[in-house]
Amino acid sequence: MAVNQYLGEVLHRFDKVLEDPLEFIQQYKTENRVKVIGWLPADVPEELIHASGAIPFGIIGHSGGYSWADAHLQTWACSLVRGSLGLALQGKLAFLDGLIIPHICDTTRNLGGIWKHVRPLPWMENYLLPRQVDRPSARTYLTGELGRLKARLEQCTGREITARKLQESIALFNQNRVLLRRLWQWHVSHPGVIGNRVIYNIIKSAMVIPREEHNQLLMQLLETLDHMAGGEEVEEGCLRLVLSGKVWDPPEIMNILDKHGAVVMADDFTTGQRYLAGDAAETGDPMEALALRQINRIPFACFPTARYDRRSFLAELAGKNRAHGVLFLHLKYCEPENFDYPDMRAAVESAGFPSLRVETDVGNLSLGQLETRIEAFLEMLRGRGTE
Amino acid sequence: MTGRPPFVTADLLKKMMADYYARGNEARQRGVPVVWVTAVFPVEVVYAAGLFPYYPENFGAMAAARKVTDQLSRAAEAQGYSFDLCGYARCGLGDAYASEHPVGAIEKPDMVFCCNTQCGSLPKWFEAAGRFYQVPFFLLDSPMIQSTPTTLGRLYFIEQLKELIDFLEIRTGQTFDLDRLAEVMALSGEACRLWNSILDMAALSPAPFGFFDACYHMAPIVTLRGTREAVEYYRALKGELEERVAKGIPAISGERFKIYWDHIPVWPKLRWFADYFASRGALVAVSQYTHSWAWSFDPSRTLESLAENYTEAFINRGFEQRVQMKIDFMRKYKVDGFIFFSNRSCKPNSFGLYDKRNVVSRRTGLPGIVIEADMSDLRFFAEDQVKGKLDVFFHQLEQRIGGAGRQ
Ligand code: SF4
Ligand code: SF4
Repeated sequence: MAVNQYLGEVLHRFDKVLEDPLEFIQQYKTENRVKVIGWLPADVPEELIHASGAIPFGIIGHSGGYSWADAHLQTWACSLVRGSLGLALQGKLAFLDGLIIPHICDTTRNLGGIWKHVRPLPWMENYLLPRQVDRPSARTYLTGELGRLKARLEQCTGREITARKLQESIALFNQNRVLLRRLWQWHVSHPGVIGNRVIYNIIKSAMVIPREEHNQLLMQLLETLDHMAGGEEVEEGCLRLVLSGKVWDPPEIMNILDKHGAVVMADDFTTGQRYLAGDAAETGDPMEALALRQINRIPFACFPTARYDRRSFLAELAGKNRAHGVLFLHLKYCEPENFDYPDMRAAVESAGFPSLRVETDVGNLSLGQLETRIEAFLEMLRGRGTE
Repeated sequence: MTGRPPFVTADLLKKMMADYYARGNEARQRGVPVVWVTAVFPVEVVYAAGLFPYYPENFGAMAAARKVTDQLSRAAEAQGYSFDLCGYARCGLGDAYASEHPVGAIEKPDMVFCCNTQCGSLPKWFEAAGRFYQVPFFLLDSPMIQSTPTTLGRLYFIEQLKELIDFLEIRTGQTFDLDRLAEVMALSGEACRLWNSILDMAALSPAPFGFFDACYHMAPIVTLRGTREAVEYYRALKGELEERVAKGIPAISGERFKIYWDHIPVWPKLRWFADYFASRGALVAVSQYTHSWAWSFDPSRTLESLAENYTEAFINRGFEQRVQMKIDFMRKYKVDGFIFFSNRSCKPNSFGLYDKRNVVSRRTGLPGIVIEADMSDLRFFAEDQVKGKLDVFFHQLEQRIGGAGRQ
């Protein structure tokens, strides 16, 4: 009982932060007098921001305010970007000392210019990622680009990013990923304790809560869970799913899956497994280490790689996890995902995994309809037998 | 476009393009690889290697002009491709799956080469095509230039050109000839120079040539730059235009206004727009789109020069540079107003236009509007809405100029 209560308290701490991440980080900033640098998904090297003495803050998960963007960005831009710009237009991001926008698609490529024009922040940068990751030129270029970003960050915070500091930051973020991966295992084996919404919320909270504190919380949580070991195991009749897409928004999706007895075994979200998988080397040149981590990340619509075809990656992921089905979760107007989808669906289906695609326009979404569709899909999977 | 004699060179153009497509078939029969390339790709490398470059975007434009985008798109949509994707991509992918080919079947590639200076749609489309045809895909990656070009970006592109050449040597088993590349670049440069001077003629008053003419005559500069035919063609066209100037044959009768258009035309409505503007006495004189191919190469610095030209295209520049480039065109061609086309197919050209309209108007004092449509798919074209906006715009222009025309 006491353990459960303690567990509840730790989990509550994560949820609380996500109820209003902006409020949380602003308070933190005032109390600790630190600079806060925002970043948009995906793949921004938070280690580098951290090593510059600033707090990296992921601009993720916001609700409402989409129509604010109407005068500046067409309605056929994805809701993720429209929502972020909407926040800025409402003045809700004015507390940021800086912002990094990664160039991963045409929308993010154009966003920086608009943002800078309508709501300039004291410091703004684009992270000009290489979009081919297979050839040697990509690695050289990316190391150079990270160097440019580092120099710009140093200008922003006025602090030098030494190799040592960066290595320490890398170690801190590696530790976070290791802990998150352990927790993910807990989720997979004990979905009744750490459900879908809970685990994904915890991942998301890592993008908000300063990493030192997040690691502490995770350690406490894991310790508590270890005391409970041998408790509930995977429930009978649980449906195992693999999810694919850019981000796992809207968050209510996870509640729907929890409610209907489905457990997410794996995913390729930039705010999911892509965020926690793969560490950077803690020895050697830390800039090279960051470049290499980026280049070796799991497949993603925005960086096609011949080394690891995203189709087979997903089919294998479903196989390894003995998934009952695959759920594609796509933000409407997300071009990279729209281009990948037909072949990905074909790949998982021919590997024997039924799939469903849900297109979400976060600002304009009927959760009721969403639930009906997901429920029908899960029923269908159940009808095929759960083993 | 009313009442003027047809271009003599138009027949030459038809013949050249027919020959070009015939060469594609021939190439396949002779075992010469057919290489898909993108409009802003250093095709000089492909010509220098003796391969046949094919432009799927042209296929998309052709389908759009013949108003069959929706038909081809539906074949892609049936495979699960969203109709939110770029219309060209939907046409290309749709035709690959379709059993009927209303504009002739898209040429099957042996390799697909893509440069992402233009957009992120092309690499995704070509990557999917590479899977469909089971052929290798090569991406020349061109990170955006935020303000001024960087050495880092340029070196990255040059490295990739070398990788591309290695790739070609391995695939074709032939040594790549850099001298031949220099020759092709010289030809390409000459065609671009002629093209540029032709576009410049739209600044004359009245002008013998405008944007809609450029849309018609641009096929060779896109597909055949780097060949002798393209140079000859633009020489002939230039000659014909000079004659027209001497004889006083204008592009439209009674030119009263000059307009800047951004960016691509609405292909299936090209005629509709051309007639509308002509009826208003307005010549659409310039667009960044047709200027995309006005490059200038230095054959003595082959790879460097290719890297500069292909990475520094306007579409790969930041907000401020792109605004400035638009303004420079408006000044050079002395336009009276501007129209920005928010093209549902094309995010890189459309996102930012709302704010750019305001900035440009503020800095130039020119009236301007943004219209919403799609360059290829008529399902996203609301004629009444577009016409309504244009009417208001011209009303404004008339008032400013007091019905007297330009001073
Ligand atoms: S969701 Fe898709 S379109 Fe939107 S920013 Fe991410 S990759 Fe780009
Ligand atoms: S129309 Fe735009 S999105 Fe489509 S291929 Fe051309 S540049 Fe790319």
